[in-house]
Amino acid sequence: MGSGAAIAGLGMTELGRVYGSSPRRLAADAVRAAVADAGLTLADLDGLLVSHGMGGSPGIELAETLGLRDLRLLSLMSAFGATAGAMVAHAAMSIMNGAATTVACVFADAPLQPKQSAGAAYHRNAKEYYGFGGMTAALGFRSINAFYALAAQRHMARYGTTSEQLGAIAVSTRQWASMNPLAQLRDPITLADHQNSRWVAEPLHLLDCCLVSNGAIAVIVTSADRARDLARPPVHVLGWGQGHPGHRKERGSEFGLTTGALASGQIAMKMAGVTVGDIDVCQLYDCYTYTVLVTLEDYGFCAKGEGGAFAATGALAPGGALPTNTGGGQLSAYYMWGMTPLSEAVVQARGAGGDRQVARNDVILVSGNGGILDHHSSLILSPHAPSSQGA
Amino acid sequence: MDIGVLRRDGRTDPFFDGTARDELMIKRCEPCDRWFGPDATGCPGCGADELGWARACGDASLVTWTITHGRDPDDEPAVLALVELAEGPWLHARLDGVTGPREGLALVARFVHPAEGEAYLLFSGTRRSPQ
Repeated sequence: MGSGAAIAGLGMTELGRVYGSSPRRLAADAVRAAVADAGLTLADLDGLLVSHGMGGSPGIELAETLGLRDLRLLSLMSAFGATAGAMVAHAAMSIMNGAATTVACVFADAPLQPKQSAGAAYHRNAKEYYGFGGMTAALGFRSINAFYALAAQRHMARYGTTSEQLGAIAVSTRQWASMNPLAQLRDPITLADHQNSRWVAEPLHLLDCCLVSNGAIAVIVTSADRARDLARPPVHVLGWGQGHPGHRKERGSEFGLTTGALASGQIAMKMAGVTVGDIDVCQLYDCYTYTVLVTLEDYGFCAKGEGGAFAATGALAPGGALPTNTGGGQLSAYYMWGMTPLSEAVVQARGAGGDRQVARNDVILVSGNGGILDHHSSLILSPHAPSSQGA
Repeated sequence: MDIGVLRRDGRTDPFFDGTARDELMIKRCEPCDRWFGPDATGCPGCGADELGWARACGDASLVTWTITHGRDPDDEPAVLALVELAEGPWLHARLDGVTGPREGLALVARFVHPAEGEAYLLFSGTRRSPQ
């Protein structure tokens, strides 16, 4: 098993309202950037894991686009927003068992079109609707927002969670974004701004909802031994886990109340030999403010139902006890699905966060969430190799 | 938000035949005595991959809800919900005339027959659950 796996390279294209490149081109650019960041060349890669967003591209043909030869690992992976964590875990296992040595993991998407609203990229409008899926859309479920609003509302009704508590997450995330030059939204906001932002789907205001972005992000995973000799400080992959609760649409369902973070967090933390009290920084999938709140509960940072009160203490903000989404997350920085929290975790683990660098970065928890809270992945990352990680 | 025009595909005939005669038809596994939504394709209990259609009574209770708003201020907000049928399955549904939604609110299915497209159902409060 050797010394485990580490992230040695990070590559990001321009992110946001950027047009003119196909998702495949963006993905290729991100892989090239990640390889260069690690101090490697494309010829050093013997593995490539690919995932994409709404566009349905790229797939494994990306290997040909990049001219990669003699790969030992090549797959398209899809667990929606949980894919980034799943790719890193798959790469780490492949490296640790000797199937591959150096694996690029990439996500790319370009759902935004010029002169189109961000919401339109994920909106489903038609003249006629077919079948059972069509019936749901015809009745009014025409974007993901409505489904997450149902989940958030259930949490509010059951536990007394408030819109202001969700707003605290929007505000703290924007505070972090104001220190990230790559964030799409950097102007500070107040709780009043959150409360006054238009309704999208009650109880979700506009400022409860993530951005939509074009772009691509890639990471390079290799053995920790090899990573030590490369250009950047290694980011060790100490643990990983997934959780897919399979909530049924029937009486007794926990939909909206608990998520796959419950299982995925426990598995990842146990593997890494840490507990929730050891986590210094969280990079949580924040498609909505509510997603952060329920994820914090399921990970065990507070009791079930107390995520709102916990967020309202300011713990997640700069200077707080649990710095969370320190790059501005998907809410304020950029929406690259699971690569948003993963990329910021790499930045923080390297100590490369500039004005937003956290003081303690020994144990970093990264989450991914896909579907309507259907799929979850967790990673535990650290600047320290497992053996050197004292008590 | 307007309700869209509904068309049949190859799998929905029993359902829309039902709405046409003011009946809510859903799926049922007789051996397991379990009910499922109309889009269910199998029984997770016994593994049966063919489920029969059976009539649900139309009574339901409110699980959770959202009021969606379009960008156009003239666009009427829609009250969308997850409802729990008396038989147990949950449906994504649209509410009509419910002004004070709360968890557990008693609802009943009401059928709408538009001039264009298939009949569909909405859920409203019952007389036993004053708004």
